[in-house]
Amino acid sequence: MRGAAFGCNRAGGPGCRMMRRTTVPCRASGSSNGAGRPVLLEVKGLEAKIAATGQQILRGVDLTVREGEVHAIMGKNGSGKSTLSKVLVGHPDYEVTAGTATFKGRDLFALEPEERSHDGLFLSFQSPIEIPGVSNVDFLRMACNARRKSKGQAELDPLEFYAHVVPKLEMLKMDPTFLNRNVNEGFSGGEKKRNEILQLAVLESEMSILDEIDSGLDIDALRDVAAAVNGLKRPDTSVLMVTHYKRLLDYIRPEYVHIMEAGRITQTGGMDLVDQLEAGGYATLSTA
Amino acid sequence: MSYGVMQRSRCSAGCRGARPSATTLSRRAPAPLRANAPAVSASAVEDAWIRANVAEPAAPSPVAGLAALRSSCSEALASLRMPTTRNEEYRFTDVAALTSAKLARPTAAAAVDAALLDSLRFPEAGGSAAVLVDGVLRPELSDLASLPRGAYVGGAAGAPAAALERLGHLSNARGGPFAVVNGVLAGDAVVVVLPDGARLARPLHIIHVASGAGAGQGALSASAPRLLVALGRGAEAEVVEEFVSADSGATAVFAVAEVLLGPGASLKHGYVQREAAGSVHLKSTLVDQAEGSSYNLVEARVGGGLSRHDVGVAQCGPDTATRMRHFLLAGAGQLQDLHSKLVLDHPRGEAEQLHKCIVSHASGRGVFDGNVKVNRLAQKTDAGQLSRNLLLVPRATVNVKPNLQIIADDVKCTHGAAISDLSEEELFYFRARGIPAEVARQSLVYSFGAEVVQALRYDRLVARIQADVVAALQVAEASIAGASK
Repeated sequence: MRGAAFGCNRAGGPGCRMMRRTTVPCRASGSSNGAGRPVLLEVKGLEAKIAATGQQILRGVDLTVREGEVHAIMGKNGSGKSTLSKVLVGHPDYEVTAGTATFKGRDLFALEPEERSHDGLFLSFQSPIEIPGVSNVDFLRMACNARRKSKGQAELDPLEFYAHVVPKLEMLKMDPTFLNRNVNEGFSGGEKKRNEILQLAVLESEMSILDEIDSGLDIDALRDVAAAVNGLKRPDTSVLMVTHYKRLLDYIRPEYVHIMEAGRITQTGGMDLVDQLEAGGYATLSTA
Repeated sequence: MSYGVMQRSRCSAGCRGARPSATTLSRRAPAPLRANAPAVSASAVEDAWIRANVAEPAAPSPVAGLAALRSSCSEALASLRMPTTRNEEYRFTDVAALTSAKLARPTAAAAVDAALLDSLRFPEAGGSAAVLVDGVLRPELSDLASLPRGAYVGGAAGAPAAALERLGHLSNARGGPFAVVNGVLAGDAVVVVLPDGARLARPLHIIHVASGAGAGQGALSASAPRLLVALGRGAEAEVVEEFVSADSGATAVFAVAEVLLGPGASLKHGYVQREAAGSVHLKSTLVDQAEGSSYNLVEARVGGGLSRHDVGVAQCGPDTATRMRHFLLAGAGQLQDLHSKLVLDHPRGEAEQLHKCIVSHASGRGVFDGNVKVNRLAQKTDAGQLSRNLLLVPRATVNVKPNLQIIADDVKCTHGAAISDLSEEELFYFRARGIPAEVARQSLVYSFGAEVVQALRYDRLVARIQADVVAALQVAEASIAGASK
């Protein structure tokens, strides 16, 4: 069971286990003491439009995410939060018109979507699509092996992969029968979100962008998903959450909260910004 | 079993178009089945191609049921004309590939490579495989050791007389012109009879091999396999028909399957067509379902050149269930046509049909005409019909006509059709997970058909259809890459 040993190393290493046990968030909100850590993602002056209609959505986004940091982006509907996530992973619906984005020092926009994934960038989709006829386990293994291949690692055969994936299923409290079902086919909203995080766990991506993973989740599912995201954190990984609601941020505590408005990040702060938002809505922020 | 349903359907077919069509002609009331009726002389046949290629009388069959079938079909042949695209039923299906060819009769008892047959067997059907070569059952190649007592699976000679009497009843009444051709050419029939309450423990795998033997230059070796399944009250069976070619040579196959389901009987019918490129494959499946019976068809056609399936199902009693799933792949030079007619005439019938077609080449075409008729007495019917089509390359074509005719007023019926390329959204989902675009494309296309193909269940069977699909898609990929250079 070579694969089992491999799986344990990654998913259940001492560092991970410690964090997984931590259900109470451990980072102080608003701390900004990580300035010395290496930059993972750096976005400068990013502008983008919808390719089909030419409608401008992003109007100069600046964002720096360092290793080990957790960021959250909040903002009204249509402010460009989801567009930013999709542009970063190379969604074909959008066209970058200005600005730069580097990930681990590489120009993101010079890379194909699959290369960005190989480099360790992950987007959890807001509404993941269903793929009838392709089993979840095959899909996960294809994805896992594509990344391993790009890193020059040996691909996992089905047995090795099974050993790799089972601890991750347990972490997400997912039934192993999930593996034999077709990708997202007939999944409930909560199951789809869990499945996205399972993909993140399998890929072991360094930077995860979570686009509204709290939508459509009941409180138990939210707790499970958040615990899994916390459990996956490593000193060299970062999380960027897009959300409307504070309740997600109570489970996954961000150090930085950004407010997005009309295609730009207009304010950055800590959890205090969220509290202000809960109290008075976006109006109080824009006048602040 | 009541034939009232058939009367009605015959009438509706005849009334549909004003101009006489081949299909209308063939829907005349069947000639009385006289075992020793004189064959119509070839010179009296109207259609020149039929006269030259089909009408020549074959050696008389010693089996009464077959002789009667041939006799009645020979009579129908006299006034039969090969359909053209001016016939509504063949509007999008040009049969010129057949009518411009010369047919040859295969030599008797052609040898078949044992390795081919071994490669086709799957373990679940061990001791339950019938092999037909050019439409004739070959006991020495078949293995029917696992049959239950009281069941009959075998050739026409030796089949229960009651079953043989029904040979041709459905196809004469409701079959199209090529069912008539089958009746004239058929040299044998596989007969499956299960008495009341009997159950086949294993799927019956019927391997139809077209040997291509006897075909000269420019001629197609023609064979006419025929299947009759008669299940008694509450009997259960699964039959998987698989059509293959002995080698890469094109052939012509005129196949007919007649299915008679007694009250509460249940048949799972697999139908796989993997014949050689350029082959002509014309099949009719006719089903009569008594009350409470269930007919479940899973079809996958990926081979041949001109390929058409006419399915006619009549629900002849209440509480009857019909489920049909079809997967068709039309690559270079292939036409995959499905014409289905389902008639519901009794209360609480259920019907579900899913048609999925991929056209992977500019010279490929898919045709679907699916008619579901919910007649006045068929109250509380629950019927759904969906056609989904994937066009992978520019100029690929499908002609789809799902249609419901509802006369009853208390029914739940849905239908729909969708035609698309692969969605960018789906492709992107794969790529965002690091899976390269070409792998994503292949998986998605395969997954499109897998929904149906996986319902055939048996790993080896599913795997070889998958392999055919992958091979066809690689050709498609290469042509896309070539075109973009």
